[in-house]
Amino acid sequence: MKTVNYLKAPLTINWAVTNRCNFNCQHCYSRTDPSEELDTPTLVAAIDKTVKAGVLSINFGGGEPLLRKDLLEIASFCSGRGLRVSMNSNGYRIDRETAGKLKASGFSKVGISIDSHIASVHEAFRGIPGSHQKAVAALAYLKEAGIKTSISTVICKINHRAVQELITFARQQGVQQLNFHNFKCSGLGYSNKDELDLSAAEWKEFYLQATAAKKEIRDLEISLDDPIIASLGMKTETDSLVKGSICGKLSLNIKSNGDITPCGFIPIVIGNIVKDDFKEVWDNSQVLDRLRNKKPTGKCASCASYEDCLGGCSARALALTGDFNNPDPHCWINEP
Amino acid sequence: MEKVFRNPDVLWREEDDPKAQAWEGLAKGEDVEDVGTSVLFADGTMLSLNVLGTEIWKRCDGRTVDEIVADLSGQFDVETAVLREDAVAFLAELAEKGFVRYEDR
Ligand code: SF4
Repeated sequence: MKTVNYLKAPLTINWAVTNRCNFNCQHCYSRTDPSEELDTPTLVAAIDKTVKAGVLSINFGGGEPLLRKDLLEIASFCSGRGLRVSMNSNGYRIDRETAGKLKASGFSKVGISIDSHIASVHEAFRGIPGSHQKAVAALAYLKEAGIKTSISTVICKINHRAVQELITFARQQGVQQLNFHNFKCSGLGYSNKDELDLSAAEWKEFYLQATAAKKEIRDLEISLDDPIIASLGMKTETDSLVKGSICGKLSLNIKSNGDITPCGFIPIVIGNIVKDDFKEVWDNSQVLDRLRNKKPTGKCASCASYEDCLGGCSARALALTGDFNNPDPHCWINEP
Repeated sequence: MEKVFRNPDVLWREEDDPKAQAWEGLAKGEDVEDVGTSVLFADGTMLSLNVLGTEIWKRCDGRTVDEIVADLSGQFDVETAVLREDAVAFLAELAEKGFVRYEDR
């Protein structure tokens, strides 16, 4: 089967339905974004546009999606239109009753952000006492309600050496999936990158451990969304369809005010879901065209992994070097 | 004979442009095996199917392999025995990935 360069529409939309949050995380990419929110009818009409274009799944993010009072209503609309509905949440507001309502409104999967297996580390990082225990409880309530659960962990200085511990912790919570997200350096993640981001050598060490665990472990899906693992002979889950980053190829991001960006970590607005023709943006955006047709520069030009890696994470290359064609700054090839 | 069912957890859709291109190619007798005309994804796995794969997939609604093959043999210029062999191998691959399941009649 062939890999594709671009589809008729994204398969998934990551939709930041609000930027409001009850937390104060040091790596947040949306805290610094003051965009307004769409009201319910406008949001629902906008979602419908994407369904008509062929989008199959929607993942709510933010901010904390549960701070929107109409979240269940929106989710019911989405599931009624045949979309697969999921979200990323900090879990603080998910009790048994809410979990049941989430299920009833059609959520099939909820990912809870947990940065460390150690409660005090997680809470210091997120700025909210008691948040670790709440997150753990949320996972249990969701599971009880029949919703698939995952733990999302952004890898950074506070957790990169704890691969085994994080896996053990995820197993104890009975989640289906453990997502190790690479550190993107957008928003507050950029301001705090000196304290939080790893060196290229540390990334290599982390990915060696994480990929070894992924190969070995059967009862827990370990998801690594970073194309730079290609140089370790590993493939991302989307590799059979597209190479490199999936942004603008399989997915798009929509901000709380309806602005469309290639992904949540690439702050280039390519259109607005309310005002613009969605298909026109998807088919004709020059930014998307460039993301779909990256050109190797620097060390990537002679790298044997380029075909699969395509220079790594475009968002990170853009944030740290100003051009997403540049090699991903996390890449350890030829680095001291 | 076993019935074949799509796993309802798999999200999928056809891609209009490549689909049109593949059928046009078929009409002219071209080899369109490498043209992906649909995408399928479930947790952690993604697939792109060519036109024959897509047509088989669309018929995994409780029909048997024989019924699927009989239905498709008129549309594809292949001997029924060959088509059957391809379909069986393809469905076995999908079953292994958990994308389809078999059920006894
Ligand atoms: S040199 Fe470029 S293509 Fe090679 S692994 Fe690093 S980022 Fe990827």
